[in-house]
Amino acid sequence: MSEFFKKIAEKPFILASGILGVSYSSMKRIFEGGAGAVVTKSIGPILRKGYKNPSIIEILPGTFINSVGLANPGIDNFISEIKELKQNNITTIVSVFGDSIETYTQVAVKAQDAGADAIELNISCPHAEISIICQNKQLTYEYVVAVKKELKIPLIVKLSPNVTDIGEIALSAEKAGADAITAINTVNAMVIDIETQRPILSHGSGGLSGKAIHPIAVKKMFDLYKIVRIPIFGCGGVFTGEDAIEFFLAGASAVQIGSALYQDYNAITNIINSAKKYLEVHNYKSFSDIVGNAHKFETQEAPDF
Amino acid sequence: MIKKPRMVQISEIVQESKDVKTFTFNIKSILSNYSIQYQDPTPGEFLMVWVPGIDEIPMSLSGFNNNKDWSITVKEVGECTEMLFNLEKSDLVGIRGPFGNGFQIPEFNFNNQLNIVVGGGIGMAPLIPLISELIKLKIKIIVIEGVKSKEEIIFKKYLKNYLIENETFYISTDDGSYGYKGFATDLFNSIIEKEIEKGNKINQVYSCGPEQMMYELFHICEKFNISFQGSLERMMRCGFGMCGLCVLDPSGIRVCREGPILDSKILRTCTDFGKYNRDFSGKKNTI
Ligand SMILES: Cc1cc2nc3c(=O)[nH]c(=O)nc-3n(C[C@H](O)[C@H](O)[C@H](O)COP(=O)(O)OP(=O)(O)OC[C@H]3O[C@@H](n4cnc5c(N)ncnc54)[C@H](O)[C@@H]3O)c2cc1C
Ligand SMILES: Cc1cc2nc3c(=O)[nH]c(=O)nc-3n(C[C@H](O)[C@H](O)[C@H](O)COP(=O)(O)O)c2cc1C
Ligand code: FES
Repeated sequence: MSEFFKKIAEKPFILASGILGVSYSSMKRIFEGGAGAVVTKSIGPILRKGYKNPSIIEILPGTFINSVGLANPGIDNFISEIKELKQNNITTIVSVFGDSIETYTQVAVKAQDAGADAIELNISCPHAEISIICQNKQLTYEYVVAVKKELKIPLIVKLSPNVTDIGEIALSAEKAGADAITAINTVNAMVIDIETQRPILSHGSGGLSGKAIHPIAVKKMFDLYKIVRIPIFGCGGVFTGEDAIEFFLAGASAVQIGSALYQDYNAITNIINSAKKYLEVHNYKSFSDIVGNAHKFETQEAPDF
Repeated sequence: MIKKPRMVQISEIVQESKDVKTFTFNIKSILSNYSIQYQDPTPGEFLMVWVPGIDEIPMSLSGFNNNKDWSITVKEVGECTEMLFNLEKSDLVGIRGPFGNGFQIPEFNFNNQLNIVVGGGIGMAPLIPLISELIKLKIKIIVIEGVKSKEEIIFKKYLKNYLIENETFYISTDDGSYGYKGFATDLFNSIIEKEIEKGNKINQVYSCGPEQMMYELFHICEKFNISFQGSLERMMRCGFGMCGLCVLDPSGIRVCREGPILDSKILRTCTDFGKYNRDFSGKKNTI
């Protein structure tokens, strides 16, 4: 096991991309709160302002819709944040996107050179152009192969739930050399204001995150665990220790936490402590002892008539 | 708290100066239509104000009352504020919030304390409900309003209902067209020295305005060992602590959540204060 995956195995809780991932100092707080690694905001080749506001809204308690639109300062302006992260000994996964195979690779290599411990390939943002990659197994293969070829550090590929068959995309990524998979990115969604009768987000539609998508993400994890051999990081609606444990049982090697962290910087510590409590109460030594345990049961395949 | 943007009807518009207007709206209908739990706002909290089709921007509450009439006071500076300026009475505007921490206000008047409130231009907006609250608590205050020129003075009539000009309420203009000629920071310095000479103890300074002004005020307060609270402005996307755009280095403090009101203790550790902010992409720039 590489150094990076050893660190993740020790502390299988990771900050998800796009939440409090602009500045090294917020990521530092989350790392200090017990995360094994942080994923930065998705970084592209050039500065990008993204969509106008409203772009992030809480639509139900703990459930959010966003269309940030991959706003980011561009990799060259972000190098200093990566260096700060590394100076603070923070295990750093840089989330990367581009507008072509070349730019994806360029950004990933620049992040690697700046000291990133791993790269997470964002091919799955539902409200940006790049989402076409994750909807096509051939494109996924080509992008992953190309980026992987230039990397010495692990490559994680982040997948979208907004596809017909997430399994074939995951297989494609694995075949192309991905070292791990993150599932899932946000779920395509829309909210309409009934007074003005118009969509609320400036972009119209966006991605759903938080509590409402947790069961969707658990099901994707359950399905993916049967299909791929590389580690899968579960992501979507982890707000409590129970939510995290569900992911491990479905097959996650680690969980990513995003939306829940808006509450305060202690949120991640509370989730981790509560998940550890479960291990203690049930006499397990580590999270790896429960990975995939939900697969041990036979479920009813055909309905009773 | 209103979490999803909700449309309210503007009930009153007051022109405060050439490029500043106060918009008032009643939020009772939102609360009842959408069964939203109500909590009284705290002075210093802000709303995200949505002009459909244009943008959604942070605006401090410049007033609120028991009838649940809320107001914002807006300076026209760009696209979204210009569109707000085109709105008329009865037009709809979207709001969510209030967000942020609000000022820490002493619970009662102890030891005959003196508090000083310093606003720079449109920075007076969140200070108005604060001043009302301090007056209600019978805390002795001095208010300083600093503007570039006479035409920019706002809320003078309102403040003169409670305070006496050149005793407890001062105006400074950079060009000397009204009141004290010079920066609010210089006026503040001389007032402090005078009060200290008189043997008065200043417990607390509250401020909102251009960051350079607050930066200087903070350092004057440090010199005199007076605790300071300033309302900071940073680019805001979510307004409730999720996106990380408004984070300050190196503490990780989120201006939209742990702020916008930050006190001396936090400002002392903040390397961004008075120096750097971020644009909408997240790129760090010098102020
Ligand atoms: C907590 C807080 C409270 C505020 N309270 C008031 C107030 O009471 N009255 C008032 O007139 N102004 C207030 N502002 C400033 C106000 O938000 C900006 O003037 C407004 O966003 C300008 O929008 P625009 O489209 O007209 O201008 P633009 O041309 O879009 O921008 C002009 C400048 O406004 C600022 N700005 C633009 N968008 C945002 C954003 N999403 N978040 C933060 N700043 C932005 C930037 O500094 C920008 O350079 C407050 C800002 C913050 C952060
Ligand atoms: C405001 C916001 C911004 C996001 N930005 C990104 C991004 O830049 N890159 C990415 O891969 N995922 C992004 N995501 C998706 C999250 O990383 C995560 O996959 C999703 O929110 C589900 O997890 P959660 O329910 O724990 O938030 C974003 C999510 C939110 C809410
Ligand atoms: S504006 Fe999003 S965290 Fe403060």
